[in-house]
Amino acid sequence: MHDAQPAVHHHTAPEGFIAKYVFSVDHKVIGLQYYGLALLAVFIGMVLSWLMRLHLGWGSLAIPGLHLLSRNGAPGNIMTPEYYLSLMTMHGTIMVFFVLTNAPLAGFGNYFLPIQVGAADMAFPRMNMMSFWVTFAAFITLMLSFFVGDGPPLSGWTAYATLSSVGGASGPGEATGQTFWAIAIALFCVGQLLGSLNFITTTLDLRAKGMTLARMPLTTWAWFITACIGLLAFADLLPACILLILDRSFGTSFFNPAGMVLNGQVTKYSGGSPLLWQHLFWFFGHPEVYIAIIPSFGIVSHILTVGARKPLLGGTRVMTGCILAAAFLSYMVWGHHMFLSGLNPFSAILFSVPTLIITIPFTVGVLMLIGTVYGAKLRFNTATLFSLGFISVFVSGGISGFFLAQPSIDIYLHATYFVVAHFHFVMAVASIFGIFAGTYFWMPKMIGRMMNETLGKVHFWLTFIGVYCIFMPMHYLGLAGNVRRYAAFTDNFLVPLIPVHKFITVAALATGAVQFIFLWNLFHTRFWGPKAPDNPWDATSLEWSTTSPPPFDNFGGRQLVVNHDAYQYGVEGPKDYIMQTDPAEAAGD
Amino acid sequence: MESDFHSKGKDIEVSESGAGAHAVIMEASPFGLQSKKLAIWLFIASDAVTFGVLLFGYSYLRLGSLDWSYPFKGASILNGFIMTVILLTSSLTMLAAVIAAKHDDKRRCLRWIGFTILLGTIFAVLHLREWFHMFGEGWAIYKNPLGGSPVFAAGFFGITGLHLLHVISGVIALSILAIRYNNGVLDKNHVETTSLYWHFVDLVWMFVFPIMYLMNAAR
Amino acid sequence: MSSEREPSMKLYAGLWIVMILIVALEVLVTYRHMPTDIFVGLILILAILEAGIGVMYFMHMKFESPNLAWTLVPITIFVLVMLDQIWPDALRLARLSMFR
Repeated sequence: MHDAQPAVHHHTAPEGFIAKYVFSVDHKVIGLQYYGLALLAVFIGMVLSWLMRLHLGWGSLAIPGLHLLSRNGAPGNIMTPEYYLSLMTMHGTIMVFFVLTNAPLAGFGNYFLPIQVGAADMAFPRMNMMSFWVTFAAFITLMLSFFVGDGPPLSGWTAYATLSSVGGASGPGEATGQTFWAIAIALFCVGQLLGSLNFITTTLDLRAKGMTLARMPLTTWAWFITACIGLLAFADLLPACILLILDRSFGTSFFNPAGMVLNGQVTKYSGGSPLLWQHLFWFFGHPEVYIAIIPSFGIVSHILTVGARKPLLGGTRVMTGCILAAAFLSYMVWGHHMFLSGLNPFSAILFSVPTLIITIPFTVGVLMLIGTVYGAKLRFNTATLFSLGFISVFVSGGISGFFLAQPSIDIYLHATYFVVAHFHFVMAVASIFGIFAGTYFWMPKMIGRMMNETLGKVHFWLTFIGVYCIFMPMHYLGLAGNVRRYAAFTDNFLVPLIPVHKFITVAALATGAVQFIFLWNLFHTRFWGPKAPDNPWDATSLEWSTTSPPPFDNFGGRQLVVNHDAYQYGVEGPKDYIMQTDPAEAAGD
Repeated sequence: MESDFHSKGKDIEVSESGAGAHAVIMEASPFGLQSKKLAIWLFIASDAVTFGVLLFGYSYLRLGSLDWSYPFKGASILNGFIMTVILLTSSLTMLAAVIAAKHDDKRRCLRWIGFTILLGTIFAVLHLREWFHMFGEGWAIYKNPLGGSPVFAAGFFGITGLHLLHVISGVIALSILAIRYNNGVLDKNHVETTSLYWHFVDLVWMFVFPIMYLMNAAR
Repeated sequence: MSSEREPSMKLYAGLWIVMILIVALEVLVTYRHMPTDIFVGLILILAILEAGIGVMYFMHMKFESPNLAWTLVPITIFVLVMLDQIWPDALRLARLSMFR
């Protein structure tokens, strides 16, 4: 095997720790690096959410050590309202960008896209390496904002102007912290752009013989479509961040209108529009949330076919079509985040209708998934459980979306906990369930050892119950008028809701603690897990036709010929599935 | 130096990747392009959206403005026209370079790349000259000395600045291309790929010139 | 490369002259007096024409596989056209400013 030149690259397997594990051009290592970054980020984001929840439940609580994290934000370890907003900003930014965009797309996608199409690596391995390190630099820059100036920004992950666009005068963290934030996000955009180029080119150009586009597994389609969305969406966020930096540090007025008075002084800005920031941000922001969910949707669909031993009800093409339709529509709906910003009411209708329409492809997709598992002899491993859990939380979150899509209802529900419940369910929890499902499914392939099923099932059930305990009550809170992004609830209509907040906080802390079971499982598996066979799940796609973990060039230099699509399950014969590389005479297809 | 993979793009084609590698049969690319060229096209699409967003944002603020400035007198418009012609000519010279490279005429190709670099540099110099002239009159990215909307200045310097950055990076890229093409490290496909980027820079100027200059001409 | 009929330098030079003429036309239009919206529309149409020539010929798109043009161009234009939903708010800004 060693003398077969890797089909794609001149380079032989790298020597040395740095070339192998640090500045590696191997997509598998890069995928694991992204995953590791996401793992670090999710724990940081989770701890931030614990701090937030503790403050919401018990507002005068002194959290030991908090004054070490913040400069002025927690005198006597009690969070100031501004610091609460800063923590909220960082929680959102870290989670949306460095967890939800990273893990399912850059993490699993980098690892498995080339393998699933039958390539030896990505089309541009060095650019792939660069894209990881740029993303890492973005992460470091973002983390630094905790410690520079007077702390991290407090304008939310949405960084609305003019709070974010006038510099330090608008609040603590808005001087240096916000600048670091903007630079970090700009860097992140560049990293994602480079990644998208790689994903798209690899999918189109590096498929093995017989791997037509129609035969690609759903996960590959999901990553490919997501990369297409990302290519054009991040191209919008990058200039928006640049304009923000120009406004903050160079005195321009893109987002700053005339006549603003800050700290008693009239500012010199003129001609800008805060609404422009909202348009530019959400024009990116809405496709971004689909970037966050579509890879997980693909992963979960894929895993359910493996667990159900059935191809997808309705077929892969219909599911791909649904995802494509959602991707297109995602560029038409961004204004539904802006119903209360004073938009032209006619625009509101133009945004509301596509938003309602976008539920259709997702509903079709979910129904296809439910139909696939219905009547199937489901193999209940942790990956399948998390996939079923995905359906549940995605539907829960999706239903609340129907309400929010209508401007008349949104007038009441906007910026309440109803919205918080919606996006956490449909984006955070659902996508993370997809990441968990992918982890339990693919970890045997990636590190060559099986994860502990008992711990996995405990992790699933406790997390599943936990997330419902955390986010279901938030719908009620929202309907009761509980405004979001408040650090404390002192109004007389909010005070009776505080016990609910306390319940949510306890649930959040407990569910967070449960995640350490997952972490322990990962750690234990890495060192002491039982060795994994090549194909522990009896799955058909190309990654299961190679060793666990795959060799350096993924397939040991052999010429791959693909004869089947990825969903030949439930076939007659000694085994109930046909691998994609099995000979063409095998039944089916 | 390692070679990235090139798909030749025709029907199921034997593709190689440099000396010594064994041939691998792959599925045909639906676009019939090699990978680097496809990647440049994708980058161009994304950069087009970036510039588009900036121009849209600028136009958005301009539409809402009541005190817009129209500072560009005949001399500025003439200067802009000359810059446009120079950039268009540089696209032409770049095409000549690509044709020469396709015929494996390295010397001619390098000569035309040289002309392109020269024209690109002249463009940048003329542009900077105009900027400094404006700075001298009191303009800055945050200041409009005519008393009108400062968004004019911000938009003008911001957008033309980003374009200038693309021109300068293009000139640098062309220089690197020339050196490495000469050494045989890069080949005619790289010449074509880089030329696509250069044409794109010209393409953006086709929109920037009318929107930032002509629409702000003092008529 | 991908096509047998490679355009010649003559064609490119001819198109170059056409492009310069279009720019000259844009400048002429600038100095003619006409309603603003017609002026803007005309300028944009001319710019798009130039861009089309640039993409199709200079950037060789016409001679590549039609798949490339039919996917990349419509998708990019679609994304930019979607951003057109912002205009109603821009005009409102102007109208609101008048009430200060």
